[in-house]
Amino acid sequence: MGKAKRVFIPGCSLSSYNPDLVEKTLEHLQNKLPGTGAILKCCGKPTKALGQYDKFKERYSQLQEDIDNLGAEEIIVACQSCYLTMSASSPKQKVTSLWELLPKIGLPEEMVGIAKGSDITFAVHDSCSTRDRKDIHDGIRWIIRELGYKIEEPKSTKEKTRCCGFGGMVVPANPELAQRVMKRRTSEVKSDYMVTYCAACRASMVQGGKNAVHILDLIFGGLWTSESDFPTLPKTPISGWVNRYKCKKKIVKVLS
Amino acid sequence: MLPERLPEDLVTKMNEIVEDCMGDAPPYCEATCPLHIDVQGYVKLIGEGEYKKALDLIRETTPFPGILGRVCAHPCEEKCKREEIDNALSVKNLKRFVADKCDDPKDWDLNVKEESEKKVAIIGSGPAGALAAYDLRKMGHQVTIFEALPVVGGMLRVGIPEYRLPHNVIDKEYSILEKLGVDIKLNTKVGEDISFKKLEEDYDAIFIGVGAHKSFILPIEGSDLAGVQPGVDILRKAGLEKHDKVEIGERVLVIGGGNVAMDVARTAWREGAKEVHIACVESRDQMPAHSWEIDDALEEEITLHDGWGPMKINGEDKVESITLKKCTQVFDQDGSFNPAYDVCNLKDIEVDNVIFAIGQSSEADFLAGDDSIELMRGNKIKVDPVTLQTTKEKVFAGGDGAGRPLLAIEAMAHGRKVATSIDRYLKGENLYENRDYEGTYQSWLKKELAEDEPRRERISIKMLPVDERRGNFKEVEFAYTPSEARGEALRCLECQCKLCMQECEMLNDFCISPKDLFKDIIKGEVAPLIHYSCNMCSQCTIVCPHEFELKNHFMEMRKLLVKNNDGKSPMKGHNAIEWHQKLGFSGIFTTTVGASKDKEGA
Repeated sequence: MGKAKRVFIPGCSLSSYNPDLVEKTLEHLQNKLPGTGAILKCCGKPTKALGQYDKFKERYSQLQEDIDNLGAEEIIVACQSCYLTMSASSPKQKVTSLWELLPKIGLPEEMVGIAKGSDITFAVHDSCSTRDRKDIHDGIRWIIRELGYKIEEPKSTKEKTRCCGFGGMVVPANPELAQRVMKRRTSEVKSDYMVTYCAACRASMVQGGKNAVHILDLIFGGLWTSESDFPTLPKTPISGWVNRYKCKKKIVKVLS
Repeated sequence: MLPERLPEDLVTKMNEIVEDCMGDAPPYCEATCPLHIDVQGYVKLIGEGEYKKALDLIRETTPFPGILGRVCAHPCEEKCKREEIDNALSVKNLKRFVADKCDDPKDWDLNVKEESEKKVAIIGSGPAGALAAYDLRKMGHQVTIFEALPVVGGMLRVGIPEYRLPHNVIDKEYSILEKLGVDIKLNTKVGEDISFKKLEEDYDAIFIGVGAHKSFILPIEGSDLAGVQPGVDILRKAGLEKHDKVEIGERVLVIGGGNVAMDVARTAWREGAKEVHIACVESRDQMPAHSWEIDDALEEEITLHDGWGPMKINGEDKVESITLKKCTQVFDQDGSFNPAYDVCNLKDIEVDNVIFAIGQSSEADFLAGDDSIELMRGNKIKVDPVTLQTTKEKVFAGGDGAGRPLLAIEAMAHGRKVATSIDRYLKGENLYENRDYEGTYQSWLKKELAEDEPRRERISIKMLPVDERRGNFKEVEFAYTPSEARGEALRCLECQCKLCMQECEMLNDFCISPKDLFKDIIKGEVAPLIHYSCNMCSQCTIVCPHEFELKNHFMEMRKLLVKNNDGKSPMKGHNAIEWHQKLGFSGIFTTTVGASKDKEGA
């Protein structure tokens, strides 16, 4: 298994969404911050959200064991739920959001300014779980500007952002309500294009009727224009598990 | 699915929400209105152009929109939040607008509850008696009004001059009483035409709403000269008879600083007095009259001697002049009315009449000899402030005859209060229960104004030019035009809390405000779906003035539900999450990899 000073934990929703983005992010971290390992495992937030606290503690302890086995002092996360869960449950490790880290280590040089000629304005959707994290809001906007895209700030943004509709495990419990919340969020945005930094939020914005990408799509997915094919929703739930499996393979490959 | 009782600490925390959530807090205007008319509701409808609906909403609370739309002293406006930005909303004038525009007796609701076979006598047809009669009749009781004057309205007609409240408005709106079946006996003075004892024998309950129709006259030197007149007599004559019959000289001085003094002075001016003075001990800003009433009087060329009290009235057999003395103090250190004068600082004003308008006493002579009904100073009847019951069980009293002088709307609120009391009395119910919110109360709403709330000046109403008012009693104030009314209505800030309700989809599906939702949660009356419909986004918390963290409570409820359901969520849809989580931790989809050997770093 080896050791690592710090560990990148991409989270379930991102690895289910797009294993290539996980691979490229890990490569970039390796280059900029040698000594980075990786864990692909759930943080247990869904269990916790259902109210299953005992089960959550049991599950999280598995993840904690993995982190401790690597000897990692720092956890780098790409998911805001992971951020909150791990900050609360791993007091020994420093938890860092990828979005506060990237402005410090920089983007891949070849991507800087790539979108200067793009005809797209991206409306930013902030995750509600980290609504009080100004450094994350600033990091996201720094990334978009560094790439060269134009930004639209929704009426409710940053610390006043609105939920995408996915939070609290409402989708399986009350899908009709969740759909309304999604629609309401997208309806306050002018642009047809949105960017999120949570894969679940991205899917919600698509369900709300927008073209939506993950911020890592902008960093590692080439130039986006109105001519581009935008990622849609998975056709079956199986594809997410296929992606996660691919993700596992890619992580092993990058770190071999 | 939930335990019988929720854990105590959780209930304690939820009770904080039930206690302090302002979701049910009425707007300031509605709480302040003695009748609690849904001001915000009808103003909003006017803004939407729904004039008839606005009127219907007002009529749910009072059958006197045209009267109140003209003479209400609008205490609601004093509490209007807009006052902090520019000027209060013109609520009174909006009410008049819809009353004038679309009040058609054909549309009136004349439904009456099942007949109770109980008989109630009401003495006096002023605002208190009228609303009591309306309510009691609607409740199914037989109501008879005994009115000493040949007309209905009491002080609305013989206290408020016609240039402020045209008699046809009173007659139109009062006609609902007879349409409902109230028996009104005019020219019937209790104590003269019928004895009070007879009423006690013939009726199950009695309401005394006789008002206060007798002006106090200061017993100063010369107060017995011809030409000294009680203010209310002038108003009564002007209200009852043809206006030219009021005998008044060319030069008149009215003593008093209240609204009645203003009305008397303006009436004297209309009755032909060429020179009208008002003298009052208070300085202008201390005068009890409403500022706008003083403004209107001054506009009609009336000279105000504020800070001057009467010393003596001079003349051989009739008034020739009055000597005023400078007032140096109105209230003493204890705050009691105790005027002091500088008798070296005097002024004489030549006048033909001195009219006293310094307050009135009640005339309930028919009670003389009946010791069972206790009276107070000025012949006013002693009542229980909560129920308005007198010291005699079946007799109730209200309005000006039972305490301090009231605004018309306060008198109507008295009428309503009495009706509630009498109805309960007749049914043998408790008179004291649930009466905390009758009359004006303070709202528990705390509304913060947005810093960038735009100024929108109050739309003023047009008035009859001053030179067209002399010698007649034409109405002075005009009604808003529709566009003025809509413009004014749109100034409403729609004060309420419910900030969370503006943010949260889910709360709107399940409650009016967190206050009622958490009340039900504590009672164990809500479905698990509600707790599992919270997105846990904290949007409610960031807008809540109390920063209530609703999501934490929903989470605690989820934990309890899981605990009582074999460790699983009770929501069917969450089975998928169970599987999802099992796989998310399984070896097939997880891995832990250390840093690359060649890139272990420093």
